[in-house]
Amino acid sequence: MSLLPRLPVPRFSRHFASSAARALATPVQKPVLNKEFKIYRWNPDEPAKKPTLQSYTIDLNQTGPMILDALIKIKNEIDPTLTFRRSCREGICGSCAMNIDGQNTLACLCRIDRKEGKDSKIYPLPHMYVVKDLVPDLTQFYKQYKSIKPYLQNPNPPADGKEFLQSPEDRKKLDGMYECILCACCSTSCPSYWWNQDEYLGPATLMQAYRWIADSRDSHTAERREVLQNEMSLYRCHTIFNCTRTCPKGLNPAQAIAKIKIELAAE
Amino acid sequence: MSARRSGLQKEVLSLYRRALRIPRTKPAPTRAKWDLMIRYTFRKNAASASPRAVSVIEHLLRTGTRQVSMYEDRSVTDCWVSTEMRQWADTQQQRRTLS
Repeated sequence: MSLLPRLPVPRFSRHFASSAARALATPVQKPVLNKEFKIYRWNPDEPAKKPTLQSYTIDLNQTGPMILDALIKIKNEIDPTLTFRRSCREGICGSCAMNIDGQNTLACLCRIDRKEGKDSKIYPLPHMYVVKDLVPDLTQFYKQYKSIKPYLQNPNPPADGKEFLQSPEDRKKLDGMYECILCACCSTSCPSYWWNQDEYLGPATLMQAYRWIADSRDSHTAERREVLQNEMSLYRCHTIFNCTRTCPKGLNPAQAIAKIKIELAAE
Repeated sequence: MSARRSGLQKEVLSLYRRALRIPRTKPAPTRAKWDLMIRYTFRKNAASASPRAVSVIEHLLRTGTRQVSMYEDRSVTDCWVSTEMRQWADTQQQRRTLS
């Protein structure tokens, strides 16, 4: 503000602008606030090269508030070869899941830390095969999700031929589970999943499994339970709670897994 | 190659064997093309990696497995063969007749 000329403000005049700066035609220049982003880079075209951390410095006052804004700015203005997934920029698609400063979150929901002199490190989701830069290979994750048959299984349609009805109480059981966007943040934060990715289903998939077990409209509940009744699929969960800590949507996969365990133990 | 093979070598060879079985499942007129395409792709990628670069070979194995499982799909019936592949096949042929 000190850079501005002091405008004489008439004391009794009516005006709409709330500050003198707003009345000016030229916008006020914000001070430069540089921040360093260290981003994991790996190019599949040169597989012999080791993955590296590349650093980019951008002015936070010329950027949006979220990490994704910074990434997009870097891609647009500094390095167009930087690769990452993004789509909705508002935390509903789950594309931009990555490891930011050691925490798995969605880049679009993670605010940039504006503290001066502190850099941000951005990695792809841990313990996943990397396709390129920040893009992990989620084939296995989607395969596991498919294996639990994430759709309504009920061979007897309702008498009126319209829709399956559900009481408000039964509907409430699905709250906190149906919101999952399958960003894979929870599964890739789970040490059990890191070591047994091929057999353990992982928190995201298990929560969806329970979402269908808990659904009052689904008639294949027993079969769904039967599939999980083995050493690996479910019982590799050792209640580590990383999934719940990291979930960018604030859901609780660990609780859903605990509920499956209770149901299976009661059999 | 020595008789004792490492785990990685076995994996590579089993992937190649799996790929070589693909042409049999395809329509007869396209089989020669499939065979050429698979041999060429394998040899080309195998030559690109040093035998000691384990991480590179693992990466090629992963991409290769994904590729092969796509080719194995019933709905994939034909493939394309480039002039490079034909030239490569010709040089292989010449080498065999010379030796």
